[in-house]
Amino acid sequence: MDLRVPSGWFFTLVGLILLGMGAFAPHMGAAPLTTENVNLYSGAAMLVFGLFMLLMAWRATRLAKGSNT
Amino acid sequence: MKLAPVDYVILALYFAFVLGIGWRLRKRISSSGDFLTSGRSVPVWITSLAFIAANLGAVELIGMAASGAKYGIMTAHFYWLGAIPAMLFMGIFMMPFYYGSKARSVPEYLKMRFDEKTRAFNAFSFAVMTIFSSGISMYALGLLLHLVLGWSFDVSVLASAAIVLAYTFLGGLTSAIYNEVLQFLLIVMGFAPLAILSVNKAGGWQGMVARLPPNMTHAWRYMGSPTDNPMGVEIFGMVAGLGFVLSFGYWCTNFLVVQRAMAADSMSAARRTPLIGTLPKMFLPFIVILPGIAALVLSKMNLGYAFPLKATGGPDYDQALTTLMAQFYPAGLLGVGLTGLMASFMSGMAGNVTAFNTVFTYDIYQSYIRPGAPDRHYLTVGRVTTVVGVLLSIGAAYLATRYNNIMDLLQLVFGCVNAPLFATFLLGMFWKRTTAHGAFAGLSLGTLAAVLTLSSTTAEGKGGWIAQLHTFPSQMAQNFWIAIVAFTTCLLISVAVSMFTTPRTDKDMEGLVYGLTKVPHDATAKWYQRPAPLTVIVVILLLILNIWFR
Repeated sequence: MDLRVPSGWFFTLVGLILLGMGAFAPHMGAAPLTTENVNLYSGAAMLVFGLFMLLMAWRATRLAKGSNT
Repeated sequence: MKLAPVDYVILALYFAFVLGIGWRLRKRISSSGDFLTSGRSVPVWITSLAFIAANLGAVELIGMAASGAKYGIMTAHFYWLGAIPAMLFMGIFMMPFYYGSKARSVPEYLKMRFDEKTRAFNAFSFAVMTIFSSGISMYALGLLLHLVLGWSFDVSVLASAAIVLAYTFLGGLTSAIYNEVLQFLLIVMGFAPLAILSVNKAGGWQGMVARLPPNMTHAWRYMGSPTDNPMGVEIFGMVAGLGFVLSFGYWCTNFLVVQRAMAADSMSAARRTPLIGTLPKMFLPFIVILPGIAALVLSKMNLGYAFPLKATGGPDYDQALTTLMAQFYPAGLLGVGLTGLMASFMSGMAGNVTAFNTVFTYDIYQSYIRPGAPDRHYLTVGRVTTVVGVLLSIGAAYLATRYNNIMDLLQLVFGCVNAPLFATFLLGMFWKRTTAHGAFAGLSLGTLAAVLTLSSTTAEGKGGWIAQLHTFPSQMAQNFWIAIVAFTTCLLISVAVSMFTTPRTDKDMEGLVYGLTKVPHDATAKWYQRPAPLTVIVVILLLILNIWFR
């Protein structure tokens, strides 16, 4: 098992959830000390990271297949 | 703090992934080696992250933020003066002997290099310590969840123990390592926003420097005298005690972390594990310590933020991290942060349990109870030990709820056991004249010296049961000096006794000692895969950090 696959999926999913929260419910359970849309920014960062991990995993399997044939 | 449904969704999602990883890895287990040592097959980026993640349990996470609030940027010495140099030393000089000796555990290396009695001493004390550390971790988790979320202590402890047991039982060390890495990524992703938000709110680093007394924002400048800095430590105690003895002792001889490097798939990868690990490790203070310092600034800014009070009075710095989360995180990210916190508790527990089952199976069971059985038998023993280890940890957690002071005491005693060990390894690996009797005498008397120092000095009202010869300005200073005394005693006694006893022949020690071991030289490896260039880069970055925050 390539750990990049499950961790990539995990952060992609969490990133999407946070992005959704940030976009559609920006004031839900808002934090007292900040006015920033924290969910939106962090969600975007996590989504990018998750997709990057998946991309790296996909590249690795492609390279491995290439060297086998 | 109240959680929204979305927070529970994220929490559930994480546990689903954790258990899923354990489930997928179960097929890889066909021998005791697969279960207990990962069959030496884990890729290097994973072992590197696991190497530092195993140490980043929630007790450390909460403790580092608390120390940040209490001692300021000096707390970073645990990283920039302590851990990083020790990890470099481990990768460059010590790993060739651990990995090359084919030992499956640190106690087993001691057996190969010296003899049974040193191994037994190390194996038994280590086994007891891992169970109690794991119990303390569980206890802290239950307490925190009860305090912050109002969850039941029993349910928190039992449910987290059940999850840890499930994934370590299924996938063994590999599963623990994979989940440690996932947890590490989650902590970075989940707490980096907190660091950014809290430091910004506190006026950025310059604003924090302006609002705090100067000895909170300088790591080196106020270390001339113990009365000048909040930690109550002088430069020699800091550099020799923390920077050398304690950190090298922990990062180079503690099987919990060494085990992660030993799981790497080649000698070269095993050596690079701690070296690569230093790169993320170096920047962790920005995520784990800075929020604590920022919390202190915020509490002075009339924003309505204050530290909760302890029952005994005084601010409860241990709640710095969770109260900051409540102030800065909306529903959603709050779930991520809390999941990260719970994940780190669990991987702290899993790390201890997987180290415990290896040491028990190989160094206690296979050595003293039933040697010579077929491997399948030891795989079963390893699995059973995992269950027993978790059960014992739960017992230790409940013991802590009854006798809170016993935990303080145990941590002091663990310090005494750990402190002299590095001297034994240093001599064993680099001076072939060191004999088995010398090592054992040094180790036992070094431990005794630590206990005597602890019981004849006081600090903050602790210790000094036998006599009160000296009073340290802080417990931190006392810990550092106990380590220095223990190390020096162990070193001197080991050398003295070795001179009067017969050493082993060179042939017996091939692969175990410097000078009798072929140090691997990867001439074909790319430059960034070789230890030397990596080390140079790390040292330069380290110097920059230390000078920047001097």
